[in-house]
Amino acid sequence: MPSFQLNGQTIPFEKGDTIMRAAWRAGIEIPHYCWHPGLSIAANCRMCLVHIKSGRQMQMPIMRFDEKKGAYVPDTKPKLMPACQVEAQEDMEVDSVSEDVEKAQHSVQEFLLLNHPVDCPICDQAGECKLQDYWLDHQHDLKRKRTEPVHKPKGVRFGETIVYDAERCIMCTRCIRVCDELVGDPVLDMRERGNRNEIVLAPGRELDHDYTLMTEHVCPVGALTSRDFRFKARVWFLKSVEGVCSGCATGCNSHVDYDSRYGKVYRLRPRDNMDVNKFWMCDDGMMTYTEVHEGRVTTATIGRGDEPEAVLPEEAIDDVALRLEQTEGAKIAFVFSALHSSEDNFALARLAEAVGAEKRYLAARPDWKGDDILRSADHNPNRAGALAAAGGELEDTEDLIQDVMAGAIEAVVALGPTCEEEVDQLEPLLKLETLICLTANEGPLTEAATIVLPVASWAESFGTFINGKGIAQTFQRAIPAPAGVDPAWKTIAKIAEELDSPLGFNRVADVRAALAESAAAATPSVAPTSAAPAPAE
Amino acid sequence: MEPIDEILTEAEALELPTEPMRLNMGPSHPAMHGTIRMVLDLDGETILNVDVQPGYLHRGFEKSCERGTYVQVYPYADRLNYVSPMLNNVGFSLACEKLLGIEVPERCAYYRVILGELSRICDHFTCNGASAMELGAFTPFLWLLKVRDWIWDILEKETGARMTHSFGRIGGMAAPPTPGFKEDVRAILPEIRKVIGEAEGLLLKNRIFLDRTQGIGKISQERALALGVTGPMLRSTGVAYDVRKDHPYSLYDRFDFDVPVGTDGDNWDRFMVRMEEIRQSMRIIEQALEQMPDEGPINVDDPRIMLPEKREVYDTIEATIAHFKLVMEGMKPPKGRVYSFTEAGNGELGFYIVSDGSGTPYRVRVRPPCWYNLQASREMLIGDMIADIVPTFGSVNMIGGECDR
Repeated sequence: MPSFQLNGQTIPFEKGDTIMRAAWRAGIEIPHYCWHPGLSIAANCRMCLVHIKSGRQMQMPIMRFDEKKGAYVPDTKPKLMPACQVEAQEDMEVDSVSEDVEKAQHSVQEFLLLNHPVDCPICDQAGECKLQDYWLDHQHDLKRKRTEPVHKPKGVRFGETIVYDAERCIMCTRCIRVCDELVGDPVLDMRERGNRNEIVLAPGRELDHDYTLMTEHVCPVGALTSRDFRFKARVWFLKSVEGVCSGCATGCNSHVDYDSRYGKVYRLRPRDNMDVNKFWMCDDGMMTYTEVHEGRVTTATIGRGDEPEAVLPEEAIDDVALRLEQTEGAKIAFVFSALHSSEDNFALARLAEAVGAEKRYLAARPDWKGDDILRSADHNPNRAGALAAAGGELEDTEDLIQDVMAGAIEAVVALGPTCEEEVDQLEPLLKLETLICLTANEGPLTEAATIVLPVASWAESFGTFINGKGIAQTFQRAIPAPAGVDPAWKTIAKIAEELDSPLGFNRVADVRAALAESAAAATPSVAPTSAAPAPAE
Repeated sequence: MEPIDEILTEAEALELPTEPMRLNMGPSHPAMHGTIRMVLDLDGETILNVDVQPGYLHRGFEKSCERGTYVQVYPYADRLNYVSPMLNNVGFSLACEKLLGIEVPERCAYYRVILGELSRICDHFTCNGASAMELGAFTPFLWLLKVRDWIWDILEKETGARMTHSFGRIGGMAAPPTPGFKEDVRAILPEIRKVIGEAEGLLLKNRIFLDRTQGIGKISQERALALGVTGPMLRSTGVAYDVRKDHPYSLYDRFDFDVPVGTDGDNWDRFMVRMEEIRQSMRIIEQALEQMPDEGPINVDDPRIMLPEKREVYDTIEATIAHFKLVMEGMKPPKGRVYSFTEAGNGELGFYIVSDGSGTPYRVRVRPPCWYNLQASREMLIGDMIADIVPTFGSVNMIGGECDR
């Protein structure tokens, strides 16, 4: 592999790499605003100027202030080059910390802050703002300009999701490039020149495609803010764990940002994974965190319809065990969930074995609109994982309704709230005296259930999703589950305990070990449902 | 008239059989200078053995330092030795500055020396006053403590607080000296000299004071060195070790002062060493006042370390960013570890700081002088009488806040 020298350090590069990209791969940051590894090169912020010491040297004529003479005198300085645009060459010598470079960085930083409003105290970006970071690293003094800054529009509504503040904007054009290059919907552009520059919408349009939050994500400053996250939390109070999006079968990697003081998830951020989602997530995926707090089932209930009786989880578990004991094993249906983790589904499979049930089904959300960017047409994060954990073919919920109508089934144990059917299509299930639903959220199945057992959501448990390409990805627990609520695998283990056939699952590691041992997990019997993303409609 | 005391010959004296008695003293005893418990084995009034048990005061000082920024350590440092908090402030500042590799402007260094020495005078007056009081002499106690009030008036004027000032900053001080600072200090120095003379007049020829301090609470030079004792307590045994002299920090190599030493390492020597150190501190203050420039910066000029002017914070984005970064993330020293030590009121006060490059200290370890001095108190007390415990313990000058570990 060819290499070049960056500040005396040897950096390998691939042919065609820019200096910036090669350094980025090597984990070295050259200060930059406009460059983004997933977008084209704009080279407009000038923050990444470096001194290329090898090859032909160009000198720029400048005027330098001579303190002895008290006047400006002609002088020269080396011509600096943007690291994001210059291709790396074998044995190139690059200096990104020399005095000339630092002076350039200082000047660029002073220039970018020239008209910046004093907004840090009310800006959502504060704490993760490049202007703040680089001020400390590269400018650390006051600007010389003492006149009133140029004022530009603030709080401009770009659409349902994004608000724009032109005064904070540094015109790096990352948001424009996201719309152009990632989404292929050139809805943003720039108008005016110099310090009148601002980002505008295409006439008659709103920022309304499926990746609008990515414009906010790439914004290095606080110019674009998410209306959902705006003024909700300060980022330095947020902690982060690694999550996997529960929105569809792509399984985009995310950072789950939560505040441990309140046990609340505030937002998701894309986590770079070149094999899955590269740098991005879609809007619906970014908003999946809301299901952790909205429409939650937090109390166990027994009874159906208008008057379900709230009981303690232990009482509900006792009742579940009693009913499973009283029902003939062959007449119990187990419904696995494409929304729940492999661990949860595997525990359910073990419970099904314990009670001798043979009827197994898979509840999943109906397909949605996929696209050729990230979204898979399969709206479920873990269809492959559920099938693998259940250890074979599963019938779908339509078959379940048929079997119930045929009288082959007397009791149902369902994981998760969702199925392809709407509530009114589930009417045959209402005849069942035992429909147990283990769920974190409300849905059609909780409406039909006679016993509802609350379980932890994905943000409240450790787990694994296997995405449409068959890649198993684990996610971490961010916040504690509501009081008395356990992860589904643990609740299932408690039911099995009551049935005197303990599964031996005390920690998630136990479930994972058993899952790994299980032959079914070793060789997934089901091909991924949406290996190739479905074309956009 | 019959003599009151019948002088018995050795043959006539009765040897009464006694049994060792175990007595608990403290932890919540007004004379225990903070919550210390002593388990005493007594033969009559003679101490056969004593088990000194610190640990009843526990705030988790060192652990608490690991969650805030570096500047947020100052209030904790104040509360280490709350009798001379300014010396702790200065000690911690110097440790952080050593970690950063910076030096404060000269004016600030002089300011720190003067405030620190004033604190030392406070510390010694408090200790000596209390020592006298513990022998029943209440007047000298009040006489000496009035000096503390004078000094606290000055410190209050300078820092805004009489006791826990939190006045140090990394790379400077929280505020520059007030305009009348030098005059204020110059005004009290002759008064302090007068008080020292008066207190010595009250005590040094007092038979009770002499009998109850000379030869009481003795510690040998070898044992003091072996136990890591420092400060006036070590110097009272004859070792002229003073960090200001032996490892000059800040500007101490610019001043002419002596290190007083004792000979016996008893309560009397400790009292006298402290009295003389007050005089030496005043010498240092006088020289520092002379040399200290009236104009010039107090803080280092680096926005990565010092907070910007408040007015700038409200008006300019650059200062807002600086303020924000320093308050939310804190000053970020380079990765590394540093040990920095100064002469505090009771001896060598050391800060060992480990930095992982973030704005929060990875570890702050304090070497508090009192912790080591306290270890010596057991040996000093054995063989003495029960009534000697409180004055001896008083002259060790154990400060509970430092023994929090």
